[in-house]
Amino acid sequence: MEMLVYIILSLLLAVAPFFVRTERGTRLIAGAFLLVQVAAIALTIIFGRVDTVMLAIFRADTIAVVFHILMTLVLGFTLLHSSSYLRAEGVSTNSYKTYYTLLMLLAVAISCVYYSDNVAMTWVFLEATTICSAGIIYHREFKQSLEATWKYIFVCSTGIAMAYLGILLLSTVAQHGALDYASIKAVIAEGNPLYLKVAFLLIVVGYSCKMEIFPLYTVGVDANYAAPAPASAFISTALVNAGFISIYRIYSLYAAAGEVFVWARHLLILIGILSLAVGAMFLRRTNNYKRFLSYSTVENMGIVAIGMGIGGVALWAAVFHVICHTLVKSSMFYQVGIMRHIYDSYSINRVGNYMNINRVGAIGFILGTLVLLAFPPSPLFVSEVMIFSEIVSVGSWWLLGVMLILMCVVIYSIWSRTLRLGYHSNQDELHLSEVNRRLSYSAAVLLLVAIVLGIWQPEILKEAIDNIVNIG
Amino acid sequence: MILSLIILYTLTLIYLSIADRFRNHATILAIQGFLLFGIAIARMHEFHPVELSFIIVETLIFKGVVIPAILMHVINKTKINRIHSASSQFGALTMSIIALVASCTITYYMADDRTDMIFFGVSLYALLSGLILIVMRKRIFAHLAGFLVIENGVFLFSMAIGVEFPLLINIAIMIDILISILILGMFLRRMNDDIHTDEADALTSIKD
Repeated sequence: MEMLVYIILSLLLAVAPFFVRTERGTRLIAGAFLLVQVAAIALTIIFGRVDTVMLAIFRADTIAVVFHILMTLVLGFTLLHSSSYLRAEGVSTNSYKTYYTLLMLLAVAISCVYYSDNVAMTWVFLEATTICSAGIIYHREFKQSLEATWKYIFVCSTGIAMAYLGILLLSTVAQHGALDYASIKAVIAEGNPLYLKVAFLLIVVGYSCKMEIFPLYTVGVDANYAAPAPASAFISTALVNAGFISIYRIYSLYAAAGEVFVWARHLLILIGILSLAVGAMFLRRTNNYKRFLSYSTVENMGIVAIGMGIGGVALWAAVFHVICHTLVKSSMFYQVGIMRHIYDSYSINRVGNYMNINRVGAIGFILGTLVLLAFPPSPLFVSEVMIFSEIVSVGSWWLLGVMLILMCVVIYSIWSRTLRLGYHSNQDELHLSEVNRRLSYSAAVLLLVAIVLGIWQPEILKEAIDNIVNIG
Repeated sequence: MILSLIILYTLTLIYLSIADRFRNHATILAIQGFLLFGIAIARMHEFHPVELSFIIVETLIFKGVVIPAILMHVINKTKINRIHSASSQFGALTMSIIALVASCTITYYMADDRTDMIFFGVSLYALLSGLILIVMRKRIFAHLAGFLVIENGVFLFSMAIGVEFPLLINIAIMIDILISILILGMFLRRMNDDIHTDEADALTSIKD
């Protein structure tokens, strides 16, 4: 019942901007939408509703609640930054309202993915995220955004159709049509191993377009490039997390599948290495700061996939990595959005001298880069060291070697580009305003939270991750 | 009865691989919708009014009428008519036959005793046909048709392995797919209007 109220209320607020005339009214509705998210999380925790099944297809388990909190946090900053971004772009009131509506609808679809406790409904809500994202990606209405939108809808729909095939194969083990994760997990060991392997392959490949890992990562990169920067922050974190959770739930289910689980973990390691390799290669090549950050997402999600493949402590680290990546990457995208206000460009080769133009933003970006590159006290340093130590303990030295080589390429590519932005001479016209500095401060808040997590992980977070990785 | 419908369905897939007019693609997809209706009805063991209604909506109305109508509307508005002149019909037919042989081979090794071998093989062939259409054809309308062939293949596949989802989930899945197709059709028209192209090769402005 609570879930139904939450969904109905969120959907009503999401479409409400069409019934108001002003941008201020839209912002108030967005604020109310954010409050509904906060209230839903608070009520779930306060009334001890964690781990309860709702409407037969939702479960407020720890992973759902943790990622809903993260999504709400990122959404709050996204709404704040979107407002100034859209004002700077000079969009019409109708376009402004459409953007906010789509963003809120996307948030509802993503939260439904988080809470979904049914294999088929997870698929349905993921497909719904494709539909909502499409409008946001096309929002800027230029040639490239049209191309990116078409590719995004087409590849995601085709990829998710493949995932649906996998779900059908997986459903062959379900008894009496019970498609909730726990019921399938209870009987998965009795399934045809070949079917289970093909099912896992199809589902991971299909959902890879959402988690932005190999092989369908390209559409996510294009989508982030075309969408407004604050929306890219949301897509590159909350939506990527939705892809991660969808794959993670299937992964947890396979933990009971015996030798098939070993095969599935090997597949994840392979996908992780390929994602890391693709990320490293394109981080060297790209000439656009938004694509640059998107490839960094591919690289980080590759590390997460490797962590899942290794298992043990590395699995704990993988979940922690996703949580911290959400904070860091969203902060970086907001900073890039502010850069666009100033330079009116994302071109790596043209913009520069940022340290003298917007010192707060430049420090935020450079600090963000260091955290992203896992330099201490970055939380990503903690997670990566844990993954490396687990790789060493299982004796996969070759994997460690490959990862270190690829990560050296990543560090060189990212750091050289960041220094260029900070200190290289600028070749573009400037559009400075006072608001940029305030936004730069607000973007740095998320980064500071991440750094705190790198130094000190609160007991409640550790317990939550322990609970999440307890897939026995 | 079922076997003849399945053979007809296979023939539509072979014809689709060599059809060069988009109107034919839309017509074949409509025929596939009607064939899927016949197959689903023939496989019903008992009479369930709700299940029957859903089958009618999903196959006859949705796959047989609504989607082909959307495709025809897109064809009329964009004035796109044929697949790219440089596309080889012989090459497409050869690929289609190879896909058929591959489907039979995979089915032989993969299908277990709970799976209907013929359904499994044909649905696999449908999936491969859709992918071939997407990979080999240059016009994005053909890609849309390929996606729809895959969707039909998935429907057949669910019958092959005997999986029946609850009605509400089936409805949600159907609505999702319908909205995706509507949006794809809308963007296809917009691409034709705004960037004056319906060729996948022209979609290369985003690159590193």
